Amino acid sequence: MTATTEPPPPAKAPGESRLRRTFSALGAAQAYIGLVLILAVGIATKGEVFLNETNLTNAVGAFASRGILAVGVTLVILTGGIDLSVGSLLGIASMTAAMMLSKYSLEPWQIVPICMVVGGLFGFLNGAGTAWLRIQSFVMTLAMLSVVRGLDRQVSDNVSVGTQIAGPDGKLTPQAEAFQLFGTPGHNLFDRIYYPVLAFVVVCVVFHLILTKTRFGRHVYAVGGNPTAARLSGVNVTAITIAVFTLSGMLAGFAGPIDAAYSASADPQAGQSYELDAIAAAVIGGASLAGGKGTIAGTFVGALILTLLDNVLGLNAVSDNWQLVIKGLIVVVAVVLQRPDLFKFFRGGSRS
Amino acid sequence: MKKAITVALCAVLAAACASKAPGPSTSADGGEKKKFVVGYSQSNNAEPYRAQLNLQLQHYMKKYPDIELLPIADAKQSSATQVSQVQNFITQKVDALIVSPTEPAPLTAAVEQACQAKIPVIILDRTVNTDCYSAFIGGDNVLIGEKAGEEAVKLLPDGGNIVELRGIMSNQPQIDRDKGFREAIAANPKIKIIADREGKWLKEQATPIMQQWLAQHEKIDLVYGHNDPMALGAYLAAQAAGKAGQIKFIGIDGLAIPDGGIRAVQLGQLSATFIYPTGAEEAAATVNKILHGEKVEKKQVLGTTQVTKDNAAELYKKYDLSGQG
Amino acid sequence: MTVLTMRAIGKSFPGVRALDGVSLTVAEGEVVALLGENGAGKSTLMNILAGVFKHYEGEIEIGGRVAHIHSPKDARRHGIAMIHQELNLVPELSIADNIFLGRERAILDRKAMEARTAELLRGLGLDLSPRRLIKQCKIAERQLIEVAKALSQNVRVLVMDEPTSALADAEVRRLYTVIRDLTGHGVAVIYISHRLEELEEIADRVVVLRDGAYIGERSEVDRDELIQMMAGRPLGELFPRADGGGSGEELLKVEGLSVPGEPGSGRTPLREISLSVRAGEIVGVAGLMGAGRSELLESIFGLHRPTAGSMSLGGRPYRPRRPKGAIRRGVALVAEDRKAQSLVLGNTIAFNASLPSLGRFLRFGTVDARREHRAVERQVNELRVKTPGTRFTVGNLSGGNQQKVVLAKWLLTSPSLILMDEPTRGIDVGAKAEIHALMSSLAAGGKGVLVASSELPELLAMCDRILVLCEGRITAEFSREQRPTQEAILEAAMARQKVTTL
Repeated sequence: MTATTEPPPPAKAPGESRLRRTFSALGAAQAYIGLVLILAVGIATKGEVFLNETNLTNAVGAFASRGILAVGVTLVILTGGIDLSVGSLLGIASMTAAMMLSKYSLEPWQIVPICMVVGGLFGFLNGAGTAWLRIQSFVMTLAMLSVVRGLDRQVSDNVSVGTQIAGPDGKLTPQAEAFQLFGTPGHNLFDRIYYPVLAFVVVCVVFHLILTKTRFGRHVYAVGGNPTAARLSGVNVTAITIAVFTLSGMLAGFAGPIDAAYSASADPQAGQSYELDAIAAAVIGGASLAGGKGTIAGTFVGALILTLLDNVLGLNAVSDNWQLVIKGLIVVVAVVLQRPDLFKFFRGGSRS
Repeated sequence: MKKAITVALCAVLAAACASKAPGPSTSADGGEKKKFVVGYSQSNNAEPYRAQLNLQLQHYMKKYPDIELLPIADAKQSSATQVSQVQNFITQKVDALIVSPTEPAPLTAAVEQACQAKIPVIILDRTVNTDCYSAFIGGDNVLIGEKAGEEAVKLLPDGGNIVELRGIMSNQPQIDRDKGFREAIAANPKIKIIADREGKWLKEQATPIMQQWLAQHEKIDLVYGHNDPMALGAYLAAQAAGKAGQIKFIGIDGLAIPDGGIRAVQLGQLSATFIYPTGAEEAAATVNKILHGEKVEKKQVLGTTQVTKDNAAELYKKYDLSGQG
Repeated sequence: MTVLTMRAIGKSFPGVRALDGVSLTVAEGEVVALLGENGAGKSTLMNILAGVFKHYEGEIEIGGRVAHIHSPKDARRHGIAMIHQELNLVPELSIADNIFLGRERAILDRKAMEARTAELLRGLGLDLSPRRLIKQCKIAERQLIEVAKALSQNVRVLVMDEPTSALADAEVRRLYTVIRDLTGHGVAVIYISHRLEELEEIADRVVVLRDGAYIGERSEVDRDELIQMMAGRPLGELFPRADGGGSGEELLKVEGLSVPGEPGSGRTPLREISLSVRAGEIVGVAGLMGAGRSELLESIFGLHRPTAGSMSLGGRPYRPRRPKGAIRRGVALVAEDRKAQSLVLGNTIAFNASLPSLGRFLRFGTVDARREHRAVERQVNELRVKTPGTRFTVGNLSGGNQQKVVLAKWLLTSPSLILMDEPTRGIDVGAKAEIHALMSSLAAGGKGVLVASSELPELLAMCDRILVLCEGRITAEFSREQRPTQEAILEAAMARQKVTTL
C-alpha cells in the first residue's frame, strides 16, 4: 500500500556526509571551539612562552594522570553511573607504586600491573556494589572514596613515600632511576617522549577504539541509553556495569605510578578531588550524566581545555581564586553549548 | 550476601579497634594506682608534619607511666568534627585535653566548655580566641619566616630574584611565614620577590607552577617554599629544566622522614630548611606537670632550628622515631 | 454554542512543517475525534492548545474571545485540560498530591485536598483512597486519575490523547461513561485515538488530519472512508491474513509453567500455563489488563524464573535464564513499550537494530561497521522504515517507524519464534497493516509467532489459535475453525475463579 504511492526514501541521505560522521565521532563541536579559544588567548597573551613544546608538554603532563582518570570516568558515565572514587584509587595506586619501589625494589614494569590490579580490585567492588547490591553508584563510589583514602593513609602511616631511592653508593638504585621515566619532570623516554603525555594519548586512543569498534563498546552505550532495552536485547547489563567500574579502577591504577613519579613521592593525600577534574573533563567533552551520550575524543578535548586553561591562567598570574571561578563557569558554558535546543544553529538542521 | 557483609564489617571494625584502642581508664597494673587519661584532638592526621607530631606525642607520653593517651582523634581538617571530638572527650571526663585546632574561631567555644568542666586544656600549635586554657605550646611562624628570610639574604649577597610558593592563603601559618620572610629580606633592597602563588602546601601543585615561572622568568635565584614539599616540587621542575644548580631552595618543616626536608638538605636539594617544632615533647611534659599539680608556663613559644648540611644527619637521628612508634 | 475555535494554526520544527493552516471548532458538550496517522499533526495541534509551545501561528478563541495561550498556565486559566498519552503523574506522591500538584496553597490543606479528591474519584466510579500512592495504582486507574485531575480545575475543553491505549475493553467502557457524563455537563471533549471502532461509539464528529493539514470531517463514521482520508489512498483490507497456516512441527511447548508474581511491581503470577506454538502458526494471547499476558511472553523470553513447569523449543529442553539465552536459541521479544523497553532513543537506527545481533558482524573482535550498516539498511528498507538513513536518531522517528525498527532489530537475529507484545499499540493504520502483513509472511516463512494484544479484532483476524488468560491462568483456547466471537473471548477473559473473588 505504502509502496504504491510513496516509495521509501533511500536509506542513506546524500546530506549525510562522511565529514559530519567523523566529526560526530570526535565529540561535540562546541568543545573544539573552547579549545581553539583558549589556544588563541594563550598565544595572544603569552606568545612563544605559551606556544612551545616544553610548556605544552609540561602542561599536559601535569594533567595526564587526571586525564587518564577522566577516560575511566567517561566509561562509567556512559553507562549512566558515576565514579567518585577514582581520586582515592589513584592515591592508593600511587602509594602502592612507591612502596613496591622502596620496600621491594620491584622493576617499574612489574609495578604497573600490580597497581592496575589494586585499582581494578576496588573498581570491581564498586561495580559489584552497584550491579549486585543495587547501590546507586554515587553512593557506592562515595563510600569507596572514603574507604580507600582511609586505607591509603593507614598503609602509609600518613607519611609521604619518596621514589628517588638512593643505593649504598649514594646514587639512585636502577629501579628508582627507571621509575623516574614514569613522569618525574625532565625524564623522557628515548630522551624525547614524556611518558605521562604518551600514556594519556595511548589510553585515549585505545578506549576510543574499544568504544567505537567493539561489541563491548556498543553495549556500554546501550546500557546507558536504556538499560531495559539493553537487557531485553540480550546485553548482560550486570556484567557491563561491573566491567566499566573495574576498567575505571584499573585506569586509576595505571595512573598511580605516573602521579608518584611526577612528584617523586607518593603523598597520602595524592589524588584528592581529582575525581572532580575528571568528571569536569568528561562533561566539558560532551558526556551526559544521564548516560548513553559522550565520547572519549570529547573527554580528551575536555581534558586539554582544563589543562591549557590552568596553564594560560597560571602564565598570566591570574589568582587562584579567579581560576576557580573561571573553571566553574567554563563547565557551565560547555554544558549549555551542548544543548541543541538552545543552539540549533551549530547543528545546521541535522534534526530534519 | 547481607550476612557476609555484616560479618566482614565486624571483622574490619574489630581489626581497626584492636590495633589502637586500649580501653580507657581501666588500668592494667592491678588498678591500685590511678591512671590519668588524656585525650588529643588532632586537626588532620594526613599532613606529614602532624603524623610526625602524633608519633612523637605517643612516644613522649610513654615516658610517664601513670598517664594514658587515648587513641588520637583525627578531625580530618573539619572544625565541626573537631568540636564534637572535644565535646566527646569532655563527656568521657578525661583528666586533660590536648587540642591542635583546625581554626581558632570554631574551636573557641568547645575549649571554653572543657575549661568550664574543669578539664585542663593544652593548646598545641594553633591558637584559640580565649584565655580559658592551661597552656599554649606552639612554634612562631613569623620568627621562622624571618629566619628563612635572613638565610635568603645570606645566600644572595648581591641581591637577586625570589619566587615564593605559599601555603593555603587563608591559613595563619601561611600568613605568618610570608610576613616574617618579607620583613627579613627588606634588609637587602636588591632582593626582590618577582612572583608568588598559592601552592596549597602540595608538592604536585608546586611543580607545574615552577615550570611556568621558569618559562617566563630569565633569572630566578631562589625559591622560598612555605613548606618542604612545595620547595621540593619546585626543585623537581628546576632539575628537569637543567637549572637546579643555579637556583637555591629554602623550605620549612624539616621532618625527619625519608621523604622529608632534612634528607633533602643532606642530598643538597634544599639549601636549608627550618624545623617547625612539633611541641610534642613539651606537651607531654606540660600535661604531666598539670596532672601532678605543678605550675606551668601559660604560653610556651618554641624556637626553630636551622637545618644545614652540617647538622642534618645529627638532627635526623634525633627526630627519627620510626621503629619506636 | 461554540466554545473553542482554532484558526489557521501553523507550527514549524527545524526542518519539518508540523502543522499548516489547520482550523478546528468544538461546541459545548461535543466530542470531536481527531484522527490521523502518526506524524499527521494531531499531538502538535493539541499541544499548542495546551500551551506546551510558546510560539505558533494562527489564533485561538475561547468562548468567542481571543485567548493568548503560550504556556500551560495560560491554557489552564482558559479552562483547557489535556491528558497526555504518556501519563504525567508523580509515582511517589499520593493521588491527592498529584491532583493538586502545582496548585497547592503555600501551606498544604491536606484535609480539603483529600476531601475534594475523594469526591472527584467517586464521581469517576473509582474506589480509591486519596492517600494512595500513584505507584500503587494500576495503569487504568492512573488514566482515570488523570481525568480526575483535569476535572478538578473547572474544565471547559478536555483533550484526551489516546486515553484507551493502555486500557482493556471493560475499562474503556467506564471511560466512555465518564465522557458522556462530562459532555452532559457541557464540557467539550477532543479525543485522539487510533481505534476506529471506538470513534463510532463515542465521537459526534471526526476530524481528519494528514501531513500537518486539515483533510476533512465526517459526522458519520464510515471506516473505509476515514481510513482512506487518513492514508490518502484506498485501503484494501485492514487485516490481510487470508488463511491459517500452522500445520508445521511443534516449535515451542510449555507445560505447567508457574511463575511467582511480584507484589511491589504489580506483576501477575502465572499459574500452570501449558501451551504450544507450531512453526508457521500465529497464536494469540488475549486477556484483560493484569491477566498476565506480558508476564507470559517475558517468562518465555527468560526474564522471570519459573518455580514449576518446563519448556522445550524445537524438541530440545529450553530453560532460558536471561534474554541472552533466549536470543541464542532463536527467540525474539517485541516488547510492549517500545520507548521504555525496546529502543535506545538517543541513538541511531543502526545502533538499535544491530544490538542483539552484533555477534554476526564481528571481525577480529571488532564490529565491522560496513557489514553492519549494509545488513541494517537491507532490513530497514524491507520493512519500509521512513528515514533518511541508518544513522538517523531513532527518537526522531514516528511511532510506527520506531516499531518497525524494533521489528528490524529482531529479524536481524533470524529468530524461529517471535513473541510480540502489543505490536501495533499507538501506531497509525498504515503501519499497522504493514506489521500485520509482516506477521503473516513470517508465519508463512515457517516461523512461530506468539502475539499478545488487547485489540480483539486484531487477534481474531490474525491468529490461528487464541489463548485467553485471566489472572495468570489459561481459561480458554479457541481455534480459527471455531470462529470465536469477541463476546466469547471476553467471557473467558473475565472467568475469574470464584475463590479469588469471594
